[in-house]
Amino acid sequence: MANQMHKDMKQAPPVFISGKAAKTRFQRTRMLGRAAARVLLVLLFAAGLYLSVVPAGRADLRTTLILPALLSASEPPALTPADESVRHTQLIIPAPAGGVYLDVYAPTTPTPLVPGVRGGVVIVPGVGDNRAVPQLVNLATSLAHAGLVVMTMTTPTLIDNSMSAQDSDGVVQAFETLAHWPGVSANRIGLIGTSGGGPLVCFAAADPRIRDQVAFVALFGSYYNATSLLRAFGHRAFMVNGHLQPWQPDPYPKQVLADTIAGTLPSLESTLLQNAFAPNGKPLTAADLAQLSPSAVAAYHLLSGDEPDQVDANIAALSPQMHALLDQLSINRVVDKIRAPVYLLHDRSDPSIPITESREFAAALARIHHPYDLAEFGIFSHVLVRSGLDIGQLLSDGPHLFQVLSNILYVGS
Amino acid sequence: MLVLSSVWFVLGILIGALANAARLRPASWDRHGRLLMLGVGALAALLGGWLGVLLLERAVATAMALWVAVLGITLPWLVTREWFKAKGIAPGK
Repeated sequence: MANQMHKDMKQAPPVFISGKAAKTRFQRTRMLGRAAARVLLVLLFAAGLYLSVVPAGRADLRTTLILPALLSASEPPALTPADESVRHTQLIIPAPAGGVYLDVYAPTTPTPLVPGVRGGVVIVPGVGDNRAVPQLVNLATSLAHAGLVVMTMTTPTLIDNSMSAQDSDGVVQAFETLAHWPGVSANRIGLIGTSGGGPLVCFAAADPRIRDQVAFVALFGSYYNATSLLRAFGHRAFMVNGHLQPWQPDPYPKQVLADTIAGTLPSLESTLLQNAFAPNGKPLTAADLAQLSPSAVAAYHLLSGDEPDQVDANIAALSPQMHALLDQLSINRVVDKIRAPVYLLHDRSDPSIPITESREFAAALARIHHPYDLAEFGIFSHVLVRSGLDIGQLLSDGPHLFQVLSNILYVGS
Repeated sequence: MLVLSSVWFVLGILIGALANAARLRPASWDRHGRLLMLGVGALAALLGGWLGVLLLERAVATAMALWVAVLGITLPWLVTREWFKAKGIAPGK
């Protein structure tokens, strides 16, 4: 046994060599660890600097804060400590076409000392009284949590399920009110219009009073040309690459168009047309149609979609007042007067306004070399996030939505 | 703000620990040097966070806390290194 131990001790030199190797390996690991820690610190420094000081980084950070709330249609509680606390106030400002109802969501924290940091957004959330729609409130609150002052607006005409080009004056007034809001930089205010709010936002963005100040225009599920929209309703289809694609519109946009067009008709005809497309309204009988003028009959057939082969003839039969109204409500009349970049977002299978409207708008902007971006999504139903989205849909549309949202917020960063 | 300040404080301590691992401790900080690095990291992160809230906005304050903390723990190392260089002494001797 003792001999064996002696033998082992005699074999000490190899053990000494392996100890030296282990020491060298330990030193190399320490050096690697030190280098890794330094690289990590450099990366953290660069990331922090980019996300806080560079405007594009701030926009990316804001988008990261907003996107989960937008996709889940509710604010994730995990982000709450980093969020600005928000105050909601309601205002009414007078306007030539009636009052303008404003809901303001503003951060409660004092205005940042660096001038011009706080941006703002005016949102026109379409036709109808959408002020309490949870997804709109969620969007406005999320944007305000990320440091923007958000103003959602509506008018008596919109609440009355109708549209009037004069309401764009209300958008201009809302913009000017926001431009004078404490801490808000006047040249960092964008306009967002969803559905029927889109044209009003565009008319305001083309208005000489504010067009040089508007930072961006974003339209979500909106139309470009009211006549081509009516044509799609008449056909119950829209044209894609030269082929008619069947399309069944929701009842609400038909009601809105009926209410809007009815304004050009005498009282009796107006009531008949409106009642036909009101909720629980019944199709007009031959006797009802006999009471209407040819232009009102043409409008009825276009909206009810019961004469898809007569669409061109029915469009031609509309009265000059109706044509003038449709032209007034079309964005194509002001497209060359808009100065701000335009962002178009649209649901691929939108049941209220066909996607071809946004594509037509994008084509018009491309023709005049105006900066724009068109994003088509499958995660929305018209302008609301679909419920029960699977991970595949989120992964396919999420990055695109992030990019568009970041581009929009970059202008206000 | 208390929650957010706590987040910045912890973030600063983590960055201080990372700086210890990166051996960015000035050679002259012999006694309690490691603890001092954690403290400097935490203080710098708090300063950065609060500056972020005051100058920019709350949403970007954590990002500002991050880079100010890294700057805060790197600065003493850089300054002492340059000082030793200027004096012609190798750091740590």
